[in-house]
Amino acid sequence: MSTSPSDPVTAVAALYFDGRSARAHIVTLGVTDGVLHVEGDDVSRSEPLGALRVSEPMGDAARLISFADGAHLEVRDHAALAALLAATGHRDAAVVRWAFEPRMVVIMLSALLLSVWLIMQYGLPWAARITAPLVPDSAMTVLSERTLEWLDQALTRPTALPAARQQALREALSSVASIDGQPIVHTLLFRSGGQLGANAFALPDGTLIVTDELVALAGADAPVLAVLTHELGHVQQRHGVRMLLQGSATALFMAWYLGDISSLLAGAPAALVQAGYSRDMEREADDFAVKLLRARGQSAGLLAGMLEKLAAAHGEGAASRSGPMGWLSSHPDTAERITRLRSTEFAAD
Amino acid sequence: MDNPFEHAPAEAAGGNPFAAGSPALQREPITFSGRGGEYFGIWIVNLVLTLLTLGIYSAWAKVRRLQYFYRHTTLGGAAFDYHGDPRAILKGRVIGFMLLLAYNVSFQFSMIAGIAVAVALAAVMPVLLMRSLRFRARYSSWRGLRFGFDGGTGGAYSVFLKWPIFTVLTLYLLGPMWHQRMKAYQFNHARFGSAQFAIDAPVGAYYRIYGAAIAVVLLGMAAIGALLGSLADGNRAVFGLAPLLFILLLLFVQPYLSARLQNLVWNHMQLDGHRFESSVSARRLYWIMLTNLIGVIGTLGLFMPFAAIRLARYRLQSVTMLCAGPLDDFIAGQAQDAAATGEEAADLFDVDIAL
Repeated sequence: MSTSPSDPVTAVAALYFDGRSARAHIVTLGVTDGVLHVEGDDVSRSEPLGALRVSEPMGDAARLISFADGAHLEVRDHAALAALLAATGHRDAAVVRWAFEPRMVVIMLSALLLSVWLIMQYGLPWAARITAPLVPDSAMTVLSERTLEWLDQALTRPTALPAARQQALREALSSVASIDGQPIVHTLLFRSGGQLGANAFALPDGTLIVTDELVALAGADAPVLAVLTHELGHVQQRHGVRMLLQGSATALFMAWYLGDISSLLAGAPAALVQAGYSRDMEREADDFAVKLLRARGQSAGLLAGMLEKLAAAHGEGAASRSGPMGWLSSHPDTAERITRLRSTEFAAD
Repeated sequence: MDNPFEHAPAEAAGGNPFAAGSPALQREPITFSGRGGEYFGIWIVNLVLTLLTLGIYSAWAKVRRLQYFYRHTTLGGAAFDYHGDPRAILKGRVIGFMLLLAYNVSFQFSMIAGIAVAVALAAVMPVLLMRSLRFRARYSSWRGLRFGFDGGTGGAYSVFLKWPIFTVLTLYLLGPMWHQRMKAYQFNHARFGSAQFAIDAPVGAYYRIYGAAIAVVLLGMAAIGALLGSLADGNRAVFGLAPLLFILLLLFVQPYLSARLQNLVWNHMQLDGHRFESSVSARRLYWIMLTNLIGVIGTLGLFMPFAAIRLARYRLQSVTMLCAGPLDDFIAGQAQDAAATGEEAADLFDVDIAL
């Protein structure tokens, strides 16, 4: 700080362009009393510092000092310019300095990882919960129809369940499927599960699909209904739409994040993101199922028992083989859920 | 030609490479001095601020990113610069986002709404694209002179609406011709100061490049089909690999296409008698893109700023300007004189929609 602003500072070499022709004028810069003097090559110009703009530092790149009339100076003599700027009291914006301070870069990197984690963990689920009710029913119908078409083509086969049994289960479900006196709109479909085995799914528009294998595994109607009430919980709380919204938002983010490199790559992660319901959603659906079961005077144990049977039927270790839509792969914490359903929290009143 | 100041800061005018009287067709290579480690700082700050502001900062981030690349690009001892107003870019992004949203949502409501939005989009997009070409040119400069784009609405509708429709109707047979018309529109209406760009790349050249690329893709698809067929052995699940292999195939062809197209465009470009030479090697570009891809995947994206710098360096340094006369002779265009006197306020229709 030995140099006060009024002292002339060491001359800085620069190129001057007048903004009207491409001619480069070789000049030197100096500052006295808050005025920049440009001297050299057919140029002699003085301008108060307040009327000038200095570009931010970007490593070796030239720094540009712009005049209001379109002329500018290109400076590559970085050390001399830094001394001159320091003498005039110029200070770059914080955002600009951060980019070149290793400590700030490390902080930013940690902030990035933390914010990505926070967004994935809390931000997106919250936003999806808020926006899911805004998705129009027609969109959910289209989505559900497409999913069902895909299921029928790729995985499931027509049901072999007798029509009478189907009818009985449909009627039983209809009598259960109401909350606070309001019936829950749903359609119950039966399919032979094929490689999916004993399974049940809910589509966003209220279509429930249960496999013959699951009905056979349950033995009686009550455990089937327990699983279906859980699926109704997913429908009622729009879990499918919420997962889809979260998946789309993640895909959008990935497209933007990787967009620099290759737009081809950007599409790939979208496929990797969709991986069933979250643990919280399973809990919500369990709570919902228990509520419906209680209203019918049945216990949470029915659902817990059915979960145990399903886990045994699929073999816990082979869970991932049941496919992305499967009961077990999208229910990763089966043991935990069984314990919870059997715990005092849900013990029969 | 290097910047004279790198060697002798106070050298007298005698060593000035800008002085008149240079011999005809002097070679002026484009140099790029950006460094991955340096750009990483800008990239990470941009990324974090964009996330924290839910995307709003992305417009400012784009300006800083472009400024980094432009200012590290040097021709004839002077750097390029970018002057885009982040607010105009933000406006463009909001418009782009709304259009995308409208397009995606409308079909969910009804077929008619969807078609109405699609038609409206087709009517508006050419003008928006023309506007962003103008924006990008107008806010780019070298040696204090601005670039410019004077392409009209008629040309925009021809190139961004009529030709795409022709292309689809002819099952992409007219694709290369569309590309040629697009480049012609883009460059025959481009200016630097008052000097006009002109491009004379023939249609046949585009057909040769695309033809070779398509031949490779078809051969590759046949190979993939044969490979999967022999592997499958009755198990249909193996065919699930097909889309992945197809993407790899496209990634394989992409460097060839971009190398040949860059060379084609720049080797047929003229600027007021000056010419350009571009010598991108598809093999080198392939190597750079492949190692970039591995780096990006291996670091979960943290290599991206380094990858961007590597790619830009190779592509930019492959271009040389063949100067027919001194570079000092360029002068500003009419529009710039007007703009230079007044303030550079972004007008209402300034938008920048990146594609």
